[in-house]
This record gives sequence, C-alpha cells and structure tokens, in this order.
Amino acid sequence: MCWDALDLWRQGLIMADLPRRIIKETQRLMQEPVPGISAVPDDANARYFHVIVTGPEDSPFEGGLFKLELFLPEDYPMSAPKVRFITKIYHPNIDRLGRICLDILKDKWSPALQIRTVLLSIQALLSAPNPDDPLANDVAELWKINEGEAIRNAKEWTRRYAMDN
Amino acid sequence: MGNCLCKDTQDELEPYSNRNHNAQIGNTVIPIANDTVAAGDAATASPTFRFPASANVDRLVLETLGVIGTLVDNEQEPPPAMLKLHAIADKEDGWIQVVSSMVNVIPMSDPLGPSVITLLLDDCPLPSKDSVLRLSQMFQLSQKFGNKVQTTATQQRNICVVLGCIADKLAGPSSIAILSDATLGYLVSNLRKDVDPYVVLFSLIGLEKFAQTSENKITIKKRLLAEKGNPLLELEKWVDSSHYIQRQVGFCARWCLDNLFLMEGRKYSHDTVDTTGINVMLNTKDVSEYLKISPNGLEARCDAYSFESVRCTHQVHSGIWYYETLIITPGVMQIGWATKDSTFLNHEGYGIGDDEFSLAYDGCRRLIWHNARSEAQHDRPCWKAGDIVGCLLDLVKMEIIFSINGFPLKPCTQVFKTARSGFFAAASFMSFQQCLFNFGNVPFKFPPTDRKYQKFNDHANLTAEDKVVLPRHIYLDQLRKLSVREDSCTLCFDQKATVRLLPCDHRGFCQTCSRQLIECPMCRATIKEVVPDNT
Repeated sequence: MCWDALDLWRQGLIMADLPRRIIKETQRLMQEPVPGISAVPDDANARYFHVIVTGPEDSPFEGGLFKLELFLPEDYPMSAPKVRFITKIYHPNIDRLGRICLDILKDKWSPALQIRTVLLSIQALLSAPNPDDPLANDVAELWKINEGEAIRNAKEWTRRYAMDN
Repeated sequence: MGNCLCKDTQDELEPYSNRNHNAQIGNTVIPIANDTVAAGDAATASPTFRFPASANVDRLVLETLGVIGTLVDNEQEPPPAMLKLHAIADKEDGWIQVVSSMVNVIPMSDPLGPSVITLLLDDCPLPSKDSVLRLSQMFQLSQKFGNKVQTTATQQRNICVVLGCIADKLAGPSSIAILSDATLGYLVSNLRKDVDPYVVLFSLIGLEKFAQTSENKITIKKRLLAEKGNPLLELEKWVDSSHYIQRQVGFCARWCLDNLFLMEGRKYSHDTVDTTGINVMLNTKDVSEYLKISPNGLEARCDAYSFESVRCTHQVHSGIWYYETLIITPGVMQIGWATKDSTFLNHEGYGIGDDEFSLAYDGCRRLIWHNARSEAQHDRPCWKAGDIVGCLLDLVKMEIIFSINGFPLKPCTQVFKTARSGFFAAASFMSFQQCLFNFGNVPFKFPPTDRKYQKFNDHANLTAEDKVVLPRHIYLDQLRKLSVREDSCTLCFDQKATVRLLPCDHRGFCQTCSRQLIECPMCRATIKEVVPDNT
C-alpha cells in the first residue's frame, strides 16, 4: 500500500555536499538520456528532478506528456526516490495527488536500482495498469468491471491534461 | 510554523468522484461565460476594473486572509473558508473565479497577502492549460483597456503574484505557453523605477518563476537585453535602499543577475562585494535549498513557497551573546537560536522554533516558538519594516530574551530543557520575507544594557574561501564536474569497492554501504557474510 509517500516526499533536504552517486547518475542521465523520458535536475536543488515521461505507444496514454517530480531523499540510494505525477492521470495505480503504487518504490527497492530504472518502471506501469493492486480505488474498480470505459476515460484525461503541445 | 496547510486532510484522500460531489453540494458555482470579461469593460465607465468574480468567493478569500495569521499548528484543520475555496476551485470555472477574487480583494497593506495567494493556489488542483490561457487573456484584456479602465496597483501586484505562482506550478510546456509576448511584455514593462515598487517586485519574482523553465529563461533574458539598458541593472542599485520595498526589489534584481539572467561583462556580486570585517555569515552549507543569501552573507530572503531556514557560521557554547536583525518585510519569520540538532523540514513548514532544539520569535503573529508550539506575546505591536529584533542568549542564567526596538519581551527558558550549549543564530522565512542580520560587524542599534554580552563577530573567523557566497548554479556545476573512479563502490561511488557478499558472491560494494544492507542489491539474496574482495 502506498499511503505515506506524499509525507515522505515533502521532507525537504538541506544543501550539503552532494554524494558522488547522485552526481554520477545525473551525468549519465544528461549524456545518455532514456528514450521517451527526460529528467532534468533543478537549478537550485540537485536532489530534485523535473521529469517528463511520454505515454507509451498502444496505451491509453499514447500522445501524452506526463510531468513528474522526483526527489532523492537524504539516505538515497539506501532508500528509494520519491516520485509523484504532477500531470493528472487516469490510472488505477496512481491517485489524484499523483502518488504511485509501485513495489520498487516501496518494499522492493534495491540500492542497485537507479533514477533511470525507476522511470522506466513507471513508463512500464503506464503500458500495463494493474487494477488488482490499486491506489485510486474508483479508477481500479471501473478498470475491473468495465475496462473499455476506463480506457476511454484514460484517453480523455490524457487528451485533456497531458497534451500541451 | 510555516502554515503548510491541508497536506493531509481527509478531503484530499477522498477518491475523485466523492470530491466532485462535495463541491457540488457545498457551493454554488456560477459558471463564467466566456464573454463576461468583454461585457464588464470599456462600455461601463466604472473607475476601477474588476475581474469577474462573485461576492461569495470574495468573502471567502477575505475570510481566509483574516484567519491565516491565527493558524499556528500544522496539524490544525485548515479554515472552512479555505476548504470551500478549494472545493470551488476544483472546477475550472471555479478556479478562475477564485483567482479573480484574489486579484480583486487581497489588499496591498496586508503583510500576508501574497503568501495567502500562494498558499491558496498551492492546494488548489492544477488548472488545465485552457483555464490558464483564459486567465491570462483576462489579464491581457485588462491591459489592453488599460487607459480606459484602470486596474489598481494592488490588482497588478496580485496579478503578478498569481502569474508567478502558476508559472511555478506548471513549470514546463504550460509555463512556456503562458509566457506569451503580451505576458512577458507586461512583466518586463513593470521593471521601471516609476512603477509602484510592489508591482516591480512581484513582476521580477514572476519572471524568476517563469525562468524555472529553461526555454522561458532564454526568452526572458533576450527580452531584458533588448530593452534600452537592462532594467535589472538600474533596479539593482536599490539593494541598500532604506525604502524597504525598493530594497527588496534591489535584492531580487541582483539575485536574478547573479543566478538567472547573467549578463556578459557584468561581474558576479561575490567577486565585487567587500566582506572586510565580516567574520560571521549565514552559512551557505547549512541552509534549506531555496533561501537566497546576499553576497555579503548577512541578508536573506525567501521567494519559494516553502518555509526556508538557515543557521549562521558561528556556534557558541557558553557565555552571553547578542545579535540583531533588521526587519525588511513584516510577514512571518521565526528568528532566534538553534543547535545543530534542529532540522529544517522546509516543505512541511517546520523551521526554527518548531523542534525541541530551537527557539524563535515571530513578530508578525507575535508568537514565541518552541517545539512547534507557540506562546502569544501580545504586549508589543506586530513588527514592521525597519524594526530591529534583538536576540540575546544568556547561557549563564539560561535564558533567551528577544527585544523589539529595545523593548524586551519576557525571558524564555523552554529550550534549555533539551539543549544547554552549541547554539547558532538561526531563522526561518515564509514566502516573500527578508531580513538583514548584524552579528556585530557594525554597531548594534539597541545593545543590552543590563548585562555584559559578546558579539559573534569578535570571536569568529572565516577563511577567504568560506566568505564567498557562490550562486547555486556555479556551485552545482563545480560538483557535477567531479570525476568518479572506476573502482568505486557501485552504490555510493564515494569509496573504493572492497567487499564481496556471501553466499551470492556479488561484489562492487564498499564497507560502509555493505554494513547497511540486509539483502544483496543485485539478487536480493539474504547476506550471510561480508568478506574482503581480493580478486
């Protein structure tokens, strides 16, 4: 379950010396970006990333550009990054505050995972919604009983909120 | 506390459908027809223009403004008026109404006005791009009719606050769309010394928020350079002004020139500032991420929506110490003393005075803060720009005494239950707040007369390198250029990889990291033993 993500997320960080791990990941994200994903560190806070994920092809989110925020907590990589959708999205595992239900962000986190692997997993979650492990209960409910309508809703939300350009 | 409201209210945890349902029951939202704006307009010769809004929403906005200063507990339920506004703003038309109301009715004189605009918008749902474009059209209309219907300086200030807030929330493609030629033109045209300095200030802050999106940053910079003489250079001259609003404009202009809109041929302020005789500063390595610190390390300002904190560079363990701050803005700041154990949870609204290791005075709400609890101190009026707050720490008698322009408040002792030494001067800032510290490099205005005290500046030392307040982008650039050795630990990259995990045999980790592991990061096998890796 994913109830406490937002609280954790809001814990700010003091500018101290930046761990090399973060520097290294940032360098690599800049030099070899992941297709369909952009992650740019904030000018003022090297632990905060502005993320844009493109909706995967053949998913209801196709054609959408989804904005997320990603934050590396003090004890990263020993604990997982905090990630949240900023763009509204109709998805059974993402709630209206943008919180994501994804195991690797919780109990299945491993310090060998990275920002890029996390973002790839989130992109994969868009391709394969999992209504049996829901966060947005009413969305998941509809996804189970009437998938066609749920997908239409998801497309509509994508068109309305995620197609800026 | 910094009033981070509504983060965890039941309301927010409700599923989508319920929430919309509530909005319908609780409020009557009158949808605005698209042409209302045009109708309200040039034909009627009303002296001041009003953006379309309802009296009901106006009242709720004013009610929120009225009670916000009395909210002192982050766990406290947000005021009902605020919840109603959130419910109204949950619909696109309602959102526009709420914003219009704020622009119309938030007065210039209220020290919490701009903060309330940002607080309210912060917890409203994100508007769609269409709503924002409709809104900016409205704003631009008011400009087009500028000669016939007058928008007041207050409305213009509020528009700038709203624009900045939206730019911040919608950083990215939407922010680029909102920064149309007209919007940019409007904000830049306000950067003149003959415009109301409050409007100048929030136009500048608005531009700063738009510049969070790099494409906008380039556009704004080009526009500024195209002006006859970069207006920021002129405004920067106000940085030492004793007119406190102009001084804020000067501070922000200089910060923009050092951090955002760099100009060829202009030297960075940290290269030109004279720090002779300054032996204590606000610590640039001990500050939450969005606080702005002046190049001489003595003045701080927050324009973020979080509650930003900082400690000074000098720590004291015994004796009697005194410092002063000059209040530049009359809003919420918590100024006082903190040990190293005090944490800055800026996004949660916790700062100095919000844990057991710190104690602070907030002269806006007239409260003494300790351990996130407040005690009213109503025998002095609210502080105002130009006031001097004195902070006396007496580690002999174990008391802290704050004073306003020399009038002492009653002594505080709460903090000494948990901490008896190791104090720093420290302060927290709500959005748009600013003050100037004096650690004794210039004479105090209201030095204590009843006891012998010491000044930080007489006892501290800073190396030339420590005195440089580097713009953050330069600092981060330096960090990113650090190279990483090939045989580093694959988890932290700080130390050499020296160990192997048993029984799975995975390697590539250092001692420090492996000690924090239970499972192998590669295969999740439970670690039975960590052995030196000699291969």
